[in-house]
Amino acid sequence: MIVDAQNVSRVFAMPAGPVVAVRDVTLQINQRDHIAIRGPSGCGKSTLLHMLGCVDAPTTGTLLFGGENVSRLSDAKRSRLRLRQIGFVFQRFFLLPMLTARENVELPLSEAGAGKSERQKRTSELLAYVGLSARADHRPSQLSGGEMQRVAIARALANQPQLLLADEPTGELDVATGQQIAELLDRVNADGTALVIVTHDQELAGRARRVLMMRDGTIEHEVTT
Amino acid sequence: MNALGFAWRSLVRQPARAALGILGVAAVGALLFDMLLLSQGLITSMRDLLDRYGWDIRVVAGELPRQGPRIRDGVTASETIAMLPSVSGVLLVRVADAKIDRPSGTALNASFQGVDVRTSAGTGVARRPPWTILRGRDAAGPGEVVISESIASQAHLAPGASLMLRPSCVSEHEALPPTTMRVSGIAEFPFASETEDTIGGSFAALRNACSGNVGDEVDVLLVTSRSDADVTAAAIRAARPDLNAMTNDDVVGRLQQTGFSYFRQISTVLTAVTVSFAVLLITVLLTVSVNQRLGEIAALRALGFSRMRVVKDVLSESALIVGIGGLLSLPLGLLLATGLDDILKGMPGIPAELHFFVFERGALAIHLSLLLATALIAALYPMRIVSSLPIAATLRDEVIG
Amino acid sequence: MKGFTGFKGFRGFRGFAGSGLFVALVLVLSVEASTQSVRLKPDTTSTPPDILITRQLAESEHLSVGSVVTIAIDPAGDRAREFRIAGIYEPTPNPSRLGVVPREVRLHLPDLLDLTRPTGGVPGTEYVSSINVALTDPNDAAAFANDVNARMPGVVALPSSQAAGSAGPFRVLERFHLAIAVVTIIAATVFLLALTIMLVDERRQTVGVLRLIGLPVRRILIQIFIEGVIVAAAGAAFGLLLAVASERLINGFFQWKYDTALVFVRITRDVAVTCTSIAVPLGAAATVVASWALLRRSGLRLVRR
Repeated sequence: MIVDAQNVSRVFAMPAGPVVAVRDVTLQINQRDHIAIRGPSGCGKSTLLHMLGCVDAPTTGTLLFGGENVSRLSDAKRSRLRLRQIGFVFQRFFLLPMLTARENVELPLSEAGAGKSERQKRTSELLAYVGLSARADHRPSQLSGGEMQRVAIARALANQPQLLLADEPTGELDVATGQQIAELLDRVNADGTALVIVTHDQELAGRARRVLMMRDGTIEHEVTT
Repeated sequence: MNALGFAWRSLVRQPARAALGILGVAAVGALLFDMLLLSQGLITSMRDLLDRYGWDIRVVAGELPRQGPRIRDGVTASETIAMLPSVSGVLLVRVADAKIDRPSGTALNASFQGVDVRTSAGTGVARRPPWTILRGRDAAGPGEVVISESIASQAHLAPGASLMLRPSCVSEHEALPPTTMRVSGIAEFPFASETEDTIGGSFAALRNACSGNVGDEVDVLLVTSRSDADVTAAAIRAARPDLNAMTNDDVVGRLQQTGFSYFRQISTVLTAVTVSFAVLLITVLLTVSVNQRLGEIAALRALGFSRMRVVKDVLSESALIVGIGGLLSLPLGLLLATGLDDILKGMPGIPAELHFFVFERGALAIHLSLLLATALIAALYPMRIVSSLPIAATLRDEVIG
Repeated sequence: MKGFTGFKGFRGFRGFAGSGLFVALVLVLSVEASTQSVRLKPDTTSTPPDILITRQLAESEHLSVGSVVTIAIDPAGDRAREFRIAGIYEPTPNPSRLGVVPREVRLHLPDLLDLTRPTGGVPGTEYVSSINVALTDPNDAAAFANDVNARMPGVVALPSSQAAGSAGPFRVLERFHLAIAVVTIIAATVFLLALTIMLVDERRQTVGVLRLIGLPVRRILIQIFIEGVIVAAAGAAFGLLLAVASERLINGFFQWKYDTALVFVRITRDVAVTCTSIAVPLGAAATVVASWALLRRSGLRLVRR
């Protein structure tokens, strides 16, 4: 089991009063899981994803990642966890505009302390994996939306994480491009990485083996295929 | 990619902005550097000027040379002092105002320095007048003088020519007949200001020009000691307690307390203002830059970049802007210092060889330290922003925004 | 530097002299000579003539009003005379004597002449360094000076406003400070451009959308210009406030440091107007220049991330 979340809640203190974004969610993520989280806007999907990715901490409940209680980890250890065990793909890509595709993918490897030759080898492999070897030296401004997202996926896979989290990965892409991204994510999952996707895209969600329907901060029901 | 490489790429990403930031630091840094040069420049230059001509001690009746009454029995005093065992030689200097008649009719105002040497028996010290001969030779007798380059040019005089001068030996209200003197050489007078026209000659020549109406009064006695200047000064004070014997250090110290101190104070004030200005502007530059990249920074944190790493990135960016700008500020500062020095040397009474801005290694070290502190302090607030950035909230805001 | 000998004297002495003269005669001593030669020695004998001393002298020699002191010109103390301290005054600050503590004594002219006359000297053959004249109509200064020059050869009369030759050092300092100000303005302008480019860039999407919906470049530039003027004016106002606060701090520091009433920094109306007239156009111009570079691009390019 990669993630074990038991009755996790996330409450935001607002001037108008506390807002419960996630309420008593219990969820386990295992190796090779392919999970889609769906629900109307504001139901807490992204908040749940952020907690699973150790970007945010639950207000109550227990979240174990690889058996470790995330709430008890220091910020530095959580960063380390995200660097080595978790990959993130964002709706807005968040590629660094001043770096080439190659340099963007290499960034997490460099931060993890990988040597130069190892970084170069792994980067080339990843860019080939996502089909962008020919565009390795292009900057994000010179890439299409789909290409940028593929670079972002390659970056997320740099340190061979156990778990890949994607927040609306096709949100800013057209249908055809979105399909390409969906196929790539399927391949990532098939190759052994657990995948959790937050999405409004029905087609993308349909590819998952488990679909969690959220409403008002809780998981209403789960569909398993 | 390490933090410095990352910072470089961040700067290069917006070349116009980066270039302007660096240029701004260069301009401010140049001013800062100049203020540091000014803070000790005048003192260093004066000390160098005093030490250069070989006299250790100045003896006056007042507080500073040429500021105050004359030594009434100057000639006698010089002989007494010359006999002291620790004294190698004494040069007595008497200064009088003089007008040089010109064919055009307009008289030239000048300052006439009459000097004479007194040595202790057997030292064989040759007369070393307070000027340096550029052309011709030194004045030999009571009928000869040397003149400054400025007089030579304005009065069209060369070595061998004659000049007519009317000195004022006792007060400005004299009307002495003109005296003809022979110009033996053109000289440089180190303690004369750029606008001051100076004539030099023996004490006898001055007496000659003043029709003998000089008496024993002198303006200053310049003393060369055999060994330690402080010991010699003490001996002079013991022999003549009515006079003020000052070593070169004493003169510099006195000047530091009076007119020179203004420049030290103003340089301190301007240094503080400049550093504050630089810190403020670089802080604003970095803060705006960071605020524009919050989404990227949150994404990097989500990817696993540690807090320390993103903080280092910001600090490196600050270090690059200040570092490159700081390096540029050095030649710029030296150029600016030349201009400012020229302005300040226009002050009346400032010796031509005195400089307000003098390069010293200490000033460079302080400059670099201040730049380092500036880079660090300026980065504090933006570092705080990135280190306390709420990752999830920022990512959410980026999507909404 | 040579001290001022033509400096306007202490007017309060007019009443003290007990004279009905229209024109006040004030004697300004050469400070160096007087402080070198004066020896102050508290003493008690009958009704000596009155003198005034500076606050600084009173503090350093622990003197007070009513103290009787002995003054001599000769360092050995020969021909010393007694005087009574009638008052202590704050000397008019003399910028050319900055750093020199003004230990001054003011005597009636006859008393000074008696004190300084050489042995055997004939009364009436002494000379004074200068005479300051206060006219009933100050506008007559030039005519009066010309009249004196014509009637009294050997004397040079100058209206006070023309005594600027002795202000040479301050002209130089003025140029020096101006040079510093110019460099500061250049540095500030460079930074300002950098900042405005960044701030304008933040609004590129907004500007792009405005362009796409049809607003002409000129319209957007005018808007930006107005914003720039408002921000620059607010900045200038804040800067002036800061300058006024700094003025007090700097004057306070230097007045304490040199124990003087001299004013070192003064924000005058002209200075404020000059600074504002530089700052506001610079700020507005920087915003427009930064925006111009942005507006040259198409709306689509601006909107694209």
